[in-house]
Amino acid sequence: MTMTELSTPQPGIKRFIKIDWNIGALKTASPRYWSFVWMLIIMTTLGVLAWVVVLTTGGNAMGQRDNFTWGMWFADYMFYVGLAAGGLVVYASVHLFGAEQFRPLSRLAVLMAGLLTMVALLGDLTDLVRVWRIFWFVVTPNISAIFVYTGSAAGFYMVLCFVDLWILVTGVGGEKLAFRMTLIALPVAIYLHTTTAFVLALNKSRELWNSAVMVPIFLTSAVASGVALLLICAYILQHYHVLEFKKSMFRSLATLLATVIIMDLFLLVVEIATVYWPTAAKAGHTLRFSEFLTGPYAWQFLPVLTLGIIAFALLAGRKTRHIPAVQITASALYVIAIFFKRYTLMSMGFAIGPLGQTQNPYIPSLVEALIAIGLLSMGMLFFTIATKILPLRVPLEEHAAASERADAASEPTLEPGVAL
Amino acid sequence: MGASPGTAARPVRGGLERFLPLSLMLLFAVLVFSPATAAFAGQASSGQLFFYPCISCHPVNMVAGPGGTEHPSKPLPNGMQGHKIVLEAHDKLGEEACLVCHDDPTRNPGKLKLIDGTLIDITGDMSLVCYRCHEAKYKEFRAGTHGNHKESCVAAGCHDPHTPNYIYAGPVKPFVGVGFQFKGVGQARVPFKPLMAPPLPPPTVNPTWFLIAVAVGLFVVLALLVRLVGPVVVERLKR
Repeated sequence: MTMTELSTPQPGIKRFIKIDWNIGALKTASPRYWSFVWMLIIMTTLGVLAWVVVLTTGGNAMGQRDNFTWGMWFADYMFYVGLAAGGLVVYASVHLFGAEQFRPLSRLAVLMAGLLTMVALLGDLTDLVRVWRIFWFVVTPNISAIFVYTGSAAGFYMVLCFVDLWILVTGVGGEKLAFRMTLIALPVAIYLHTTTAFVLALNKSRELWNSAVMVPIFLTSAVASGVALLLICAYILQHYHVLEFKKSMFRSLATLLATVIIMDLFLLVVEIATVYWPTAAKAGHTLRFSEFLTGPYAWQFLPVLTLGIIAFALLAGRKTRHIPAVQITASALYVIAIFFKRYTLMSMGFAIGPLGQTQNPYIPSLVEALIAIGLLSMGMLFFTIATKILPLRVPLEEHAAASERADAASEPTLEPGVAL
Repeated sequence: MGASPGTAARPVRGGLERFLPLSLMLLFAVLVFSPATAAFAGQASSGQLFFYPCISCHPVNMVAGPGGTEHPSKPLPNGMQGHKIVLEAHDKLGEEACLVCHDDPTRNPGKLKLIDGTLIDITGDMSLVCYRCHEAKYKEFRAGTHGNHKESCVAAGCHDPHTPNYIYAGPVKPFVGVGFQFKGVGQARVPFKPLMAPPLPPPTVNPTWFLIAVAVGLFVVLALLVRLVGPVVVERLKR
């Protein structure tokens, strides 16, 4: 397939796989845009170099050790997979529940979901050290290992997101196909987040992971952080005139965010209460959790509570919830809180080993940190370029038509003469 | 009588030396393939416990006495003190410790008491006797989290009821033997201590070329960041 010039008056637009790629927008981009792109390219390159160090010198370059077998990559995997949930919630609410106010966000949401899942999966590959071993993972899967399910679900979900994006951008199949795709994507997303939570929850020997509340808390954290990131990105793209949104859309998004945040915090408090409830507390369990409340791991866990509560407090007030600065601050705080939560979750399994050995807190090595930054930069780079060249703006006529359909469905007309 | 040069005196093998390799092979085969290897810790291949084999000399059967009474066929002499059984851990039960589990020595100490007062044979399920005081541990045992899913305490054969704080470990192939015992539980509860201190993680190693590349890369990123953010900050300051 080759790119073809489109017979439109706009120069620089080329059609490829039925998508109009605005390559010309890159040529006319401002120097500041390119400075940002180059910054991301360099950081991605540093990440690649760090990965080369792992490939050439082995896992010794990483901070992960025998008693801390998972590191930054796993915290990032949980974080990115969770962030991808926000896109799906918005996308699904448009097509399944008729939340038309979110329709202008749908393409952006699906793009973010796909890219974030891609970054999460690439992080897994860097941890393999000898990355070609992924071949054996694929051809000889150990079906009793939960990683088989979460890994394959993430791969499938990523492909699904990009196919969804293609359908939304090209309009192939219309609203009907988009609706059907949502019917597939929603269960797959729930499956992905559930299996990711199961990676922790099914570890019988790690007390703080082995909790039934892990799955719901994982889902609420994922949706909350995903919606928060989407809100931030929407504001940034509106600031740079890439997309335009109504204020009511941001208000709806902020209300949704506040609701999910309080659910997430509630589940966290329930988990803590279960651990410390006087008649149910187990010595080993409380000892392990205390490491995160007052012990050497408190710097990881306390921000989860404090930032989470501040974020909710900011969004709780109806009078202030619509203020963009409040929305952005609360969203940013919660995204950071969830990052700490993922980091804490990873540490919770290793802080005190199954034999009772207390471990020093895990700090990623230079190589691990650069790989993480490199992957994040790569995701941001793709996103920055995609927002420039992809038609992410939902056509007004499509939005208007959908709004009319929604209005018609929600407000049935009354027969003349029928008394209200 | 001298030996000729061509026929050097061959050392004559004695009986033991001749059969030594064969004996060793036979012994090895017996040790490896013996049914004893299938026995659990503290248990002979016959299934009998090694600890205090009372019933081998004092069989658990009652004989009819005068006046329709019953008495053990071979009662323990001198109460239960005859064999100088030393209690450890269970000695906290006091002077009457034996009677906590065993029936009256004048009747049949080969019968053990259950929580409801009924008597069971000493060859029966001893875990039911443990249940009298160790209810929680018994439940764990039934659930399989204690005792490695063995059918009963007798089958597990880890503890001698007289010295329950010692644990019998299984024999190691090919030295089947009777295994060994070690003190698994102290008299007083002590907080759990890890088996060993966590190993010090080895330092991470970064090649020099990588460190130089990182330094250069970060410098360029910083310069680009200044270029990106600088004008915005200056503009804000001017306002």
